[in-house]
Amino acid sequence: MSKEKNSMVKALVDLPKNVWMSIFRNPLPSSDRGRAATSFSNFFLHIQPVRVSRQALRPTYTMGLGLISFFLFVILMVTGILLMFYYVPSTTQAYDRMLDLRSSVAFGIILRNMHRWAAHAMVAVVFLHMCRVFLTGAYKPPREFNWLIGVTLFILTLFSSFTGYLLPWDQLAFWAITVGTSIAAYAPFIGKSVKFLLLGDATVGQEALLRFYVLHVVVLPTILTMFVAIHFWRIRKDGGLAKPEESAPVPVPVSVEIEQAVPVVASAAVVAAESAPRRFTIQGLVRGPFVKVGKLEEDTVFSWPNLLIAELVVLLITIIGVMAVSIFFNAPLEHPVNVMHPPNPAKAPWYFLGLQEQVSYSAFWGGVGVPGIELLLLALVPYIDRGKAGVGRWFARERVWANALFLTFVLINVVLIVIGTFFRGANWSFVSPF
Amino acid sequence: MGAALKQTDAGGQQMPRRKFLAWLSGVGLVGSTVAALFSTYFFMKPRATYGQPNRFRIGRPEDFPYGARVAIDSKRVCIVRDGGKIAAISTTCTHLGCIVAPSETGFQCPCHGSQFDVDGNVTGGPAPKPLAWFQVSLTPSGELEVDKDSEIQTGTYLNV
Repeated sequence: MSKEKNSMVKALVDLPKNVWMSIFRNPLPSSDRGRAATSFSNFFLHIQPVRVSRQALRPTYTMGLGLISFFLFVILMVTGILLMFYYVPSTTQAYDRMLDLRSSVAFGIILRNMHRWAAHAMVAVVFLHMCRVFLTGAYKPPREFNWLIGVTLFILTLFSSFTGYLLPWDQLAFWAITVGTSIAAYAPFIGKSVKFLLLGDATVGQEALLRFYVLHVVVLPTILTMFVAIHFWRIRKDGGLAKPEESAPVPVPVSVEIEQAVPVVASAAVVAAESAPRRFTIQGLVRGPFVKVGKLEEDTVFSWPNLLIAELVVLLITIIGVMAVSIFFNAPLEHPVNVMHPPNPAKAPWYFLGLQEQVSYSAFWGGVGVPGIELLLLALVPYIDRGKAGVGRWFARERVWANALFLTFVLINVVLIVIGTFFRGANWSFVSPF
Repeated sequence: MGAALKQTDAGGQQMPRRKFLAWLSGVGLVGSTVAALFSTYFFMKPRATYGQPNRFRIGRPEDFPYGARVAIDSKRVCIVRDGGKIAAISTTCTHLGCIVAPSETGFQCPCHGSQFDVDGNVTGGPAPKPLAWFQVSLTPSGELEVDKDSEIQTGTYLNV
């Protein structure tokens, strides 16, 4: 009787600890093994390696651009889902709903601002992330395919932002759909069908708005999320971020002692390649250049807490940046749709003004041909440039020609955007901004 | 029993059936995927659309004085009257579908700067084709009717 009572009391006393352990499996780590086990056994933390190279943590190496892109995507998902509660994809209601968000919905204006500015930022940051990866030569084997996924993510980001700014059904929306789907119609063979499928009608109207809405809130985010997951997974499988040759993985014996009864979760992380009782989990048996189990690089630190703190700082900076811009600047909303009068000049958001400048010379070449060739070349970069030198360093001397070529490509597009933004006036005629 | 099965496996008696089944499921899977994709395509492609009618009446010839160039933006046509002749010129830019506005020299597009003369021929900008001319006819009731489904040659007027 008293024994039972004691065990009841003990269960109550141990309740918090037992609940904690059932969720996290480890106490808050205080030893190296604890840090390894925590990283390894937590669903969210296991996405990261147990140890991470110092190079990958250096802010001047990655500038956190990939992570910022991801956090912006998360902000977009959260604010986007909230905005969906007030939005109706109807040509007669959509614009009024925008006005409601601005005037009568609590925090509606800041959510809309955050969503729009985070979208603009994501286009820019994803592009800058691509520049970082190129200029540090980080697309070299074994990371070729992850570069390809990255290019896909960039295209998906552009499509997401395009389908997004159509939804307010203002003048920008209507004429952007008109122009955008007309560009699609210039694609060889399938162009006319693609345009008809996108619009769901012969002209731009309710069907088109509904279709772009479904693309924006379901189809594109789902595909994007899947590709982001593959992108992250492959970073791990390709051995983390690209490192310079001199600090390439060197197997070194680990001086952690392993007892016989080590739980599997910890052993996989710290098992030494050459230590006496060889215990391998299934990962240890996989052969290939990507296996990092059993090897520790010299210049690494534990992810808990080093990587975690770095990530939280980047998250904080991202949120502060988006919030600050959203408090001081309102997201653009043009006049309600007037199907009879395009605004003059009718300008796309800044990131498409280079494209608009291009199509003002030739619809096919500017809108389909040149962008198509550019994206194809971009996708094939790691398969064209097979040189092995200069990985993991900014502006490596060995890669001077590749970098020069890439920067020329970037510069041309920036110049086109600047011309489209500042040097084009009514009827798209050349004007001086000064 | 197990031994017997194993023997037939080794003897190659069971394998053709397994291969056949695997092949059959493969074909079935690929086939149904293709069928699903096609049905999705036909599902997404509307059979009926509810846009504006492409044949419409625009009034009587007297409504358009000599030399008039009246743009009817809701219908995306510009009615041109040249003496006793009337024509309907499209105001949808042949470049990327914006609405062109009549100007002194012809038509101008606000989106990408295409320019056309009074007959809709391209005089500048990225437009690849001249503006379309549509069939205009006189109904028995004496009204003008434009048919945007029948394009006619540039310079073909209706005498009224």
